[in-house]
Amino acid sequence: MHVAGIDVGSTQTKCVILDENGAVAGRGIRMTGADVLKAADQVVAQACVQAGIEPHEVAYTIGTGYGRYRVATGDDQVTEISCHAKGAVHLFPGTRTILDIGGQDTKGIRTNARGEVVDFCMNDKCAAGTGRFLAAAAEVMGLEVEEIGALSLEATESIKITNVCTVFVESEILNQLSRGRKRQDILAGVHRSIAGRSASLLRRVTVESELTFTGGVARNPGMVKAVEERLQVKVNAGEDSQYMGALGAALFALERELAGARRQEAAQ
Amino acid sequence: MSEPYKHQGVGQKIQKQLLGDWYQRLEEAPARGEKVAYLFISGNLGELLENFGFHLVYPEVNALQCGVKKVAGQNILAAEDLGYSGDVCGYVKNDIGLLSGGNKMPQGTTLPPPDLLVCNYAGCATYLRWFEALAEFYGAEMVVLDVPYLRGTQGPSPEEVRYVVRQLEELAETCTRITGKTLDRDKFRQALEFTQESEELWSQVLHSARRRPAPIDAYFEAVFFMAPIYTMRGTKGCLDYYRALALEVQERVDRGIGPVPEEKVRIVMEGPPAWPHFRKFWEMFKKWGVVSVASTYSKVGGIFDQGFRHDPDRPMESMAEYMLGCYTNRNWGMRSELIKEYMEDYRADALVIHSVKSCRSFSVGQADLREQFIRDFEIPTLFIESDLADPRYFAEAQMKNRIDAFFEALHHRKVTARV
Repeated sequence: MHVAGIDVGSTQTKCVILDENGAVAGRGIRMTGADVLKAADQVVAQACVQAGIEPHEVAYTIGTGYGRYRVATGDDQVTEISCHAKGAVHLFPGTRTILDIGGQDTKGIRTNARGEVVDFCMNDKCAAGTGRFLAAAAEVMGLEVEEIGALSLEATESIKITNVCTVFVESEILNQLSRGRKRQDILAGVHRSIAGRSASLLRRVTVESELTFTGGVARNPGMVKAVEERLQVKVNAGEDSQYMGALGAALFALERELAGARRQEAAQ
Repeated sequence: MSEPYKHQGVGQKIQKQLLGDWYQRLEEAPARGEKVAYLFISGNLGELLENFGFHLVYPEVNALQCGVKKVAGQNILAAEDLGYSGDVCGYVKNDIGLLSGGNKMPQGTTLPPPDLLVCNYAGCATYLRWFEALAEFYGAEMVVLDVPYLRGTQGPSPEEVRYVVRQLEELAETCTRITGKTLDRDKFRQALEFTQESEELWSQVLHSARRRPAPIDAYFEAVFFMAPIYTMRGTKGCLDYYRALALEVQERVDRGIGPVPEEKVRIVMEGPPAWPHFRKFWEMFKKWGVVSVASTYSKVGGIFDQGFRHDPDRPMESMAEYMLGCYTNRNWGMRSELIKEYMEDYRADALVIHSVKSCRSFSVGQADLREQFIRDFEIPTLFIESDLADPRYFAEAQMKNRIDAFFEALHHRKVTARV
């Protein structure tokens, strides 16, 4: 028996397929783009290939992320806030606080040992401090977003970035470049700036160890370091970070599928 | 709620009728040579002004109506065209936009110009500037009442009450000068008797939500039910309305009917509603079986459910006490106490704070309130933001996501607590 979690994010769509023991059997990822349904179908297909099953063999699917209500194949929807908490506590059981930085929003989530959300805070009406902020910085420097984290770690000093606006930060970076500042140093400042915003968001929900960093931006080593320095705590992060929402959704799907099976058995 | 019942929808229907008639009378006032006074809802002195024959215009109620009827957005843009900044209160800009377009209300009637502007609550600096702008535009006389902010833990002091009473007496003299009439003490007494009885009935309606299931939604329904007591208090029409509403509520209680098919979560709501997206906003809560059992916004014109009554034997004093005790005139300690009391008294599961960009009297301090309720009282608290007038500040996907996440988490925790 297999279940799936599909996370339709503002930037990327992710899928995780679990077997009946809760082990990851397959994963899929692609840019969300304009066609949410197509993106969802494709990531499921990718994950099914890895899992060695056909899409119709998936017993239960839960959609999450902003596009969750558009996932036609889904049996139910759960918000990504609950899913990130669920996924993070599953992978790092000591997790009590979660920082999720996605393409367009940043969330601070406090959870209990069961992976249930106790409190959360999100950025409002503004993309400052989100993945989009980093993407804008990368773009203006002619870099790929994947390379800026490592580059920021080569900095010899950190240039203070005062702008919090994702649009205006571009002109601030151009200004620093024109003054001959090194890209590495500017990038260190950009990462610090986001870490500062994330820290104040997290403090609103209380930072309790362990802190798990999720979302696409958690793969950026410069960001992980900046957050650790800012909050003075060890941060759990890894390659799986961007699948955390989909993993949580798949775990909810597994719980519901097993509960349904138990109910059926009891009825018989 | 599928089976119709005798008094079903009476509260909504009569309220609509009363407001319709009221706007009609406002339109006809200038032709009849009758005087018009503009004033604010919080701690208003309707009974006193009506005694001198003034018709009352509440620009906040006009803004609210424009919000619900979805024309606030265009009014706000019209005000911004005149130079009002994006940061100015949406109610103010709605009013200025409405004025620039000829004061035509969305339901068709025209608002009369003021003969007198009474800034009855100066705790909000915006109110003061708002009426200053109108006074300049219309060339009308403006009276500003200074109502001392409640800074302690108790109610107003006798000195504060005397200070406000003295101002009310001066206002009465101004009214005499403008209208040529003197205060009719018998009429004033009669009005305050209507007021007192209406306040009693309204309190009973609000208290009904202590029941499980709550027969009313003390936010999404109460914000309509409250209209007569805040705009036409002191009239027979207002009293009759609350008699009719009380019957509807009693019938709901007898039948075990509530605002949602199955009450699953009981909340206390803090902050004004998102008027331009009212239905959509309510649906986001209904979906989770959420019922508001108490709210602060429905008390914005008076906290009668806590026992305050206007007193026909002490008309000016009780009116002053009423003005001093209004919700936004209370410090944050008192406001938080009140909300906590509601949480316990109404056996609520969670607090929801809807913070609006326009109204700083309401919103300043709400982030701290959230922290206090979560950390000190361990009460699940949701903080959401939009606006009470400006439709541009309502981000539907983000709003829905926060509401869904909150009630989903509450549900998950309830389920595991049962296991």
